[in-house]
Amino acid sequence: MKIIVCIKQVPDAKDVRLDPETNTLAREGVQSIMNPYDQHALEEAVRLKEQLGGEVTVLSMGPPQAVDVLRQAISCGADHGVLVSDRAFAGADTWATSYTLAKAVHKIGDFDLILCGKQAIDGDTAQVGPGLAIQLDIPFVTCVQKVREASGTELVMERMMDDGYDVVAVSCPALLTVVKDLNEPRVPSLKGKMKAKKAEFKILSAEDIGADSSCIGLPGSPTQVVDVFPPPPRGERAILTGSIEEQIEQLVEKLAVYL
Amino acid sequence: MLIVDSELCIGCGVCEDNCAFGAIEVVDGCAVVSDACTLCGSCVDSCEVEALKIEGGEKSVQVDLDSWKGVWVYCEFRAGALAPVSLELLGAGRKLADARGVPLSAVLIGADTGESAEKLIGHGADTVYRIDNQALTYFTDESYGAVLTDLIKAHKPEIVLAGATAIGRSFIPGVANSLGAGLTADCTQLDIRADDGALLQTRPAFGGNIMATIVCPSSRPQMSTVRPKVMQALDFDEARQGEIVDVAPDPASLQTKVRVLESVISEQDNVNIQESDILVAGGRGLDSEKGFKLIRELAASMDGAVAASRAVVDAGWIGYPHQVGQTGKTVAPKLYIACGISGAIQHVAGMQSSETIVAINRDEDAPIFDVADFGIVGDMFEILPLLISKIEGKRGS
Ligand SMILES: Cc1cc2nc3c(=O)[nH]c(=O)nc-3n(C[C@H](O)[C@H](O)[C@H](O)COP(=O)(O)OP(=O)(O)OC[C@H]3O[C@@H](n4cnc5c(N)ncnc54)[C@H](O)[C@@H]3O)c2cc1C
Ligand SMILES: Cc1cc2nc3c(=O)[nH]c(=O)nc-3n(C[C@H](O)[C@H](O)[C@H](O)COP(=O)(O)OP(=O)(O)OC[C@H]3O[C@@H](n4cnc5c(N)ncnc54)[C@H](O)[C@@H]3O)c2cc1C
Repeated sequence: MKIIVCIKQVPDAKDVRLDPETNTLAREGVQSIMNPYDQHALEEAVRLKEQLGGEVTVLSMGPPQAVDVLRQAISCGADHGVLVSDRAFAGADTWATSYTLAKAVHKIGDFDLILCGKQAIDGDTAQVGPGLAIQLDIPFVTCVQKVREASGTELVMERMMDDGYDVVAVSCPALLTVVKDLNEPRVPSLKGKMKAKKAEFKILSAEDIGADSSCIGLPGSPTQVVDVFPPPPRGERAILTGSIEEQIEQLVEKLAVYL
Repeated sequence: MLIVDSELCIGCGVCEDNCAFGAIEVVDGCAVVSDACTLCGSCVDSCEVEALKIEGGEKSVQVDLDSWKGVWVYCEFRAGALAPVSLELLGAGRKLADARGVPLSAVLIGADTGESAEKLIGHGADTVYRIDNQALTYFTDESYGAVLTDLIKAHKPEIVLAGATAIGRSFIPGVANSLGAGLTADCTQLDIRADDGALLQTRPAFGGNIMATIVCPSSRPQMSTVRPKVMQALDFDEARQGEIVDVAPDPASLQTKVRVLESVISEQDNVNIQESDILVAGGRGLDSEKGFKLIRELAASMDGAVAASRAVVDAGWIGYPHQVGQTGKTVAPKLYIACGISGAIQHVAGMQSSETIVAINRDEDAPIFDVADFGIVGDMFEILPLLISKIEGKRGS
């Protein structure tokens, strides 16, 4: 089975805090990490490869330093990594990102399955997976929480819904987006780390993937961010005082409107 | 691309202070842009000497914007019922439609929808497009997506709203992508811009750490998914008039490659925590599955639902659908009570937009108190039973 996993490099949430003085995201020394959901997508891909044979290619769009997450993916069992990187991609919304990734997938060639995270923890939209499937004209299933059966040609899985889950079947090629419940990602093995150290990555520009310049980056994006501002501040916090009984009394009073 | 005119730049640093992404920095007296730039344009507006500009900004393929008219709401119907967010969106859609002087339409897709269309009219819709077909009993991205895409192409609405639910966040991105339309995720505020009637879509990003306002200047329809619980539904008005238009789906759109074998509705708990007004959330401080029972009891005493930190879900005391946070669900109930939860940033990201937050923790330095409106420092095993009986007493009387 030929599997492509889409991986985004994101700032670590621990470090992304709004500076109350300047109202900007303090990003100094911020660590970049592999998007947490993508770790689960990668793990599932590697398990499917171990079960059914085949290979796993990881794909990322981002600045040159995004090769770090590809390298990490190799250490966790991926076979190849491809980075699409070009200043012309800057400002891409989810439409332009899906278009760019689709072009890169065509460049990579044949595949049976594409795995994405449910959403990236920075942009938070959960739109790239479905968008990529539409661009590639393949079926997709979002929020997969369990793969029940997998053969080289068909998958049966559970997709998380708001009120439970649906059991669905799909033939390959298909695209899945995954949630955290799917699996427990492995830690890199020593052998994996050695392999990652030596790994070389294909870096593709907009021209290399044959992208139409009006479909990438800001010009290719139907949405545009026109304003960025801090969320409304929360009111003053209040730690209640008094004996436990008194505190509970006060709390129930404060919450009366909800009871 | 963001271009800095080094002749004009005076190195004042205003742009640096204005950039929420830390993507611009003054080096040797001139602004320098890094890869973190999202081209949001804040710095361009802030620059007093006009040294910054964004080049190549306009999408080259423009659609004829004026030929798109009307506001649409996709009204989710699953397992025999309308999702509450559908009615909330009709409330929001009504305001937008009135501001634009255009009609408000609802799209109802499903099987055996009964009186739902009449209900949508009573809650504000002028027209309901009803696609009621046995083949649409189960949600699939392909069939629901094809039906909605065909309707949008035929009627050309300027705005399409949908709930940011599991279903909405799954198939709406596919619809937007195939239409080449812009889609803003998880909106919490919608307004019409006075100058040109464009839809201003405001949403949290970066785990709720920043808010962004987004427009779709040159494509139609303008599409948004909107969080449950933020918009106000209109009261049902029986006298309100509207038209129900039954639409037969194109048989081709009912053919799907994804087959639903079974739909399992969880009976055990109220798992749809995003639709609950009151959430009681438990953390590792509960110590054990048995301890976690207190959370269920407190929730039951207030008719709320149960939520949990990741630590609790990982320990198996409750299922993943109850997890709140960055890798779980984002919730914004009226009341969120966090018990024995430390308040790690990944947890807070999922609940900080709640209206009122209560924290109960024995560690007075726990970061959860930083986002709490009311906090009690103490031992939960002592506090919760007292709180439950107090609430039961109050509600009983
Ligand atoms: C503040 C802010 C708000 C924004 N709001 C919107 C919006 O509402 N609508 C919109 O269209 N765009 C929006 N964008 C742009 C959006 O963040 C980018 O298009 C981004 O490249 C992809 O979106 P995401 O991070 O939400 O990814 P998601 O769609 O959440 O990602 C889902 C999955 O897709 C894959 N994936 C995503 N990006 C990449 C990548 N670069 N390389 C490889 N795989 C990837 C991963 O598997 C990931 O888990 C916003 C940007 C900012 C800065
Ligand atoms: C990539 C990533 C994604 C993550 N996503 C999520 C997510 O989606 N959601 C999430 O919740 N976490 C997430 N986490 C984990 C997060 O970082 C924390 O580890 C987790 O939230 C801790 O859970 P907790 O607060 O229940 O436990 P702890 O941090 O162990 O806190 C327990 C608290 O209980 C208090 N306590 C103990 N006993 C008592 C008592 N008797 N009475 C009163 N108080 C008591 C303690 O003082 C302590 O504050 C993520 C982490 C990573 C790295």
